[in-house]
Amino acid sequence: MYPEKLEKFLLKVQKPGRYTGGELNSVIKDKREVDIRYAFCFPDTYEIGMSHLGMKILYALVNAREDAWCERVFAPDTDMEAVMRENDIPLYALESGEAIKDFDIIGFTLQYELCYTNVLNMLDLAGIPVRSENRESLTPLIIAGGTCVCNPEPMADFFDITLPGDGEEVTNELIDLLKEFKKQGKGKKEFLEAAAQIPGVYVPSLYKVEYNDDCTVKSVTPTCGAPEKVVKRNVKNLDTMFAPETFVVPFIETVFDRTTVEIFRGCIRGCRFCQAGFLSRPLREKSPETVFSQCKAICDSTGYDEISLCSLSTSDYKGLEKLLGTLIPWGDDNKINVALPSLRIDNFPKDLMEKLNTVRRSGLTFAPEAGTQRLRDVINKNVYEKDILSTCAQAFAGGWTAVKLYFMIGLPTETNEDIEGIARLAQAVVDEFYHMENKPKGKGVSVSVSLASLVPKPFTPFQWEPQDKPDVLTEKQDFLVSCVRTRKVNISRHVPWTSFLEGVFARGDRRLCSVIETAWRSGCRMDSWEEHLDREKWNAAFEQCGIDPFFYTARARSFDEVLPWDHMDYGVTKKFLQRENEKAHRGETTQSCREKCSGCGAARLNGGECNELCAAVV
Amino acid sequence: MNSVRLWYKKSGLAIYTSHLDMNRCFTRAVRMAGIPLWYTEGFNPHPYLNFLLPLPLGTGAEKDPIDIRITEDISFDEIKSRLNAVLPGGIEIVAVTEPAIKVSEVAKAGYEIILEFLTPEEACAFAAGALAVIESGELNAEKRSKRGIKTVNLCSFVSSFDASSEGGRVKIKAVISAGPAENLNAALLADSLLKEFGASAEKTEITRTEIFTADGKIFI
Ligand code: SF4
Repeated sequence: MYPEKLEKFLLKVQKPGRYTGGELNSVIKDKREVDIRYAFCFPDTYEIGMSHLGMKILYALVNAREDAWCERVFAPDTDMEAVMRENDIPLYALESGEAIKDFDIIGFTLQYELCYTNVLNMLDLAGIPVRSENRESLTPLIIAGGTCVCNPEPMADFFDITLPGDGEEVTNELIDLLKEFKKQGKGKKEFLEAAAQIPGVYVPSLYKVEYNDDCTVKSVTPTCGAPEKVVKRNVKNLDTMFAPETFVVPFIETVFDRTTVEIFRGCIRGCRFCQAGFLSRPLREKSPETVFSQCKAICDSTGYDEISLCSLSTSDYKGLEKLLGTLIPWGDDNKINVALPSLRIDNFPKDLMEKLNTVRRSGLTFAPEAGTQRLRDVINKNVYEKDILSTCAQAFAGGWTAVKLYFMIGLPTETNEDIEGIARLAQAVVDEFYHMENKPKGKGVSVSVSLASLVPKPFTPFQWEPQDKPDVLTEKQDFLVSCVRTRKVNISRHVPWTSFLEGVFARGDRRLCSVIETAWRSGCRMDSWEEHLDREKWNAAFEQCGIDPFFYTARARSFDEVLPWDHMDYGVTKKFLQRENEKAHRGETTQSCREKCSGCGAARLNGGECNELCAAVV
Repeated sequence: MNSVRLWYKKSGLAIYTSHLDMNRCFTRAVRMAGIPLWYTEGFNPHPYLNFLLPLPLGTGAEKDPIDIRITEDISFDEIKSRLNAVLPGGIEIVAVTEPAIKVSEVAKAGYEIILEFLTPEEACAFAAGALAVIESGELNAEKRSKRGIKTVNLCSFVSSFDASSEGGRVKIKAVISAGPAENLNAALLADSLLKEFGASAEKTEITRTEIFTADGKIFI
């Protein structure tokens, strides 16, 4: 539901279906019968937020409790924001249509650094002071989870609590504690001190940060009994873990119009640029039986005709063959497509590929990430040119004519030769098509190259590496374009400035809080949308706060520097990451966990056990 | 294979759902209801589901038709109750019938347009003015068609028109061209009338109430 006042404006904004609520399976409760009202905020548009699996999990999890009601909130687009501000309509939750400032918990999920200003903007639209210190009462409590909270420091002044790691268990523990404190009429300070004792709860205001003269962090000191290190939460058993059996089904089209079922967490690969892979270790798998029954339940309750199996590297799932053996026939009978994103080609059985083809022909994509084998060794991306070419040849013979290749520039040790290698590899794919003996008449091949830029992230072996400045990235992009000699290859490039800003926040510290606030106050929001990203305002904000953004991106850090996120513990040790960094510079690869454990440290979160280690012992 | 005509009512929150989104919404609902839809053949089979007269965003309907084809016999009552169990709020099946008239015969549709004004005087003046304009036979507006934007006389699309006011509310009942050959969006008619008098409504509610053939028979 939406506030009545909004009604006459709804047809004046783009896609009003984003703001109405009332979708199939949305949960309506009697507010007098719950103790805790939870606003789940996604700091981006409805279409993006509604496609996000984490939100669906949390929504179902909180609503499974009788004593709590979770509602959804998304960032209004700029046209809607203007309507809300002009007419004094505060940010509301989609289920009840009520203003969220009276809720107990306002929880954000941080998936992308360029959504930070949206968080401030949403709090402000709700009528809530953006800074934690300016919110005196116990509720609403402003919390955050999601990938980006592995380095919560650039947002430390705004959140009361962040939750590193898996949210399934800690969310319930936090709700229980808040319910108790609310009942006893206790204050916010007492609550935060008690909450900090729950494993995996970080209360930024309880930590004192001191800086060296060169602006690097000198020390981070816990106060009031808060733990020295906040260890991320790790759900041990995915088969018994809470998983949603139903999703809200949007009226309007979203980014992914399908059901998603997670098959495992963690990754055995260890690509050195990939933050998600390291943050989610150790590897934990769901059994194929659990996955299948969850797929069935969700399709039944939503009517979707496509299932996407979700993980960081689908083909590494040990139960894949068994799962597809039941899932695909069931999909055929029920006219349900099975989509497998994140497929790696190097270990994908051919007969499985054929099975899948009968269900759905999705595009052929590869992610070599770098243009030469030397550089692929540096980043530990174990994909080989000959495998790509032979898979392409197979696919072309089967009638495919389009291939998508993902690459990154700005990688450590990169030279012009590596960039040229991208063009060369794309050309080799084109040639593969024309060398085919029975190539279809009148059909051409198209190879699209998607070119991202490396943003070194915390908890990866590249966390110490300098990031290329935007003008260098632009030069490299131009150079690549000049290397391409055929119109069959089409290059799409990321905006270097976007990667730059992302890089600043990814490895930033608390001094950036004021920059984010200043930029937001001067009008920055929806920065992830290129048309809204306002470089001048951002540059002005950095200047006004006396902060050089390149301090965070362009500088090489030494291994003994105190990193702003060192008091977060995601399992993987700094020593391991350093070892991996050194190996990268020597051009040495690391085996996947399935071949050999490289002692990353994450197993300790699982009581010393790692799925992969067990497998090795047996 | 049987052809079945579903009649749905669209109101409340659902009016903010576009035609394309309605299509997806019904496809999902029919699947969930376990109604065995007939799928088109070919490279990319999709369920056959045909909205006979797409509704523009923001316009509701009392009883609008969708044709589907099913591969097994199910009673009309069963189809209706199963669909209503899974459709989101604001969308409801009000009847299920056998298609009696071909869609190519659709020519007109009746609409109810409610406009709310700040004062009864404004409403009263607008109702009288609107009647007079339609009576005069000339109301020009820019109309979007497949061939681009053109200025047309909206009165040539109007078969019948009545406007009355009560308090601050104006109620318009109009029958206007509808269908594949010639179609007028009721919102354009309402907006053009408002523009003619430089008026603005606090709230506009448009509902399609019935559909007619060229000779004025109710479409069934
Ligand atoms: S503990 Fe060993 S096997 Fe487990 S994730 Fe870490 S490196 Fe891989």
